[in-house]
Amino acid sequence: MSTALEGELVIRTEGDIVATRHTVREVATQIGFGITDVTRIVTAASELARNVYKYGGGGIVRWRRVASQERSGIELQFIDQGPGIADISKALEMGYSTGHGLGLGLPAAKRLMDELEIQSDPGKGTCVTLKKWRAH
Amino acid sequence: MDARSLSVVKIREILIVTLPSDPDDSTVAALQEKVLMSMERHQAKGVVLDLSAVETLDSFFARTVAETAQMIGIMGGRTIVVGMRPAVAITTTQIGLALGSIETALTVDRALDRVMQLSGPFQ
Repeated sequence: MSTALEGELVIRTEGDIVATRHTVREVATQIGFGITDVTRIVTAASELARNVYKYGGGGIVRWRRVASQERSGIELQFIDQGPGIADISKALEMGYSTGHGLGLGLPAAKRLMDELEIQSDPGKGTCVTLKKWRAH
Repeated sequence: MDARSLSVVKIREILIVTLPSDPDDSTVAALQEKVLMSMERHQAKGVVLDLSAVETLDSFFARTVAETAQMIGIMGGRTIVVGMRPAVAITTTQIGLALGSIETALTVDRALDRVMQLSGPFQ
């Protein structure tokens, strides 16, 4: 059975981080990414799913295939209603953490993907959007 | 082997720890204690950490591997990480994770040769 190229998954337990990796791996493979890019995408997804679970108090991951005339790729969105990120530029620095983690998650995802966008309202939540385009 | 479980096998004075392909965070976190307890119990000289099944090594997993190697060192043991897949090696390096100081080998066989000091040049 193949996973739909657009969908969402709830991240509420530690097991959902594993489920996110499985789903993203399947979708990225179906879109046609090679093994190295699939590994990059799944690793970025793992970092962000853990952020949603640990710091956002749970949330969802959305995935979809994105395409224009010249290229196609994958878009992932990680959405939570947690405390939000007060200083986004700081959160993208290697080793910056508000106390619990390593501070590697967001910077790692940024390095592995082509695009990363963070929208965050302190007190209301965070939405991180990631994109990776297929190499031609 | 189960996709989540950790296997520890003792061969002579070496522990061979095979990491599962896609462990959850609790399994990764249990790695340190399980390996260190096994080291003490078996009076092992060294640990071969086999990552050949691992498909995703994110920052949490990579840090746990690096810390485990450090702890084994403090206990007087030697750690060799083996079998990292090319895509995993590329990704881990790109993230900038500090696995550089860890001793590595391509396969379990080569790691065993080295730890058991059967192969001269690598001692």
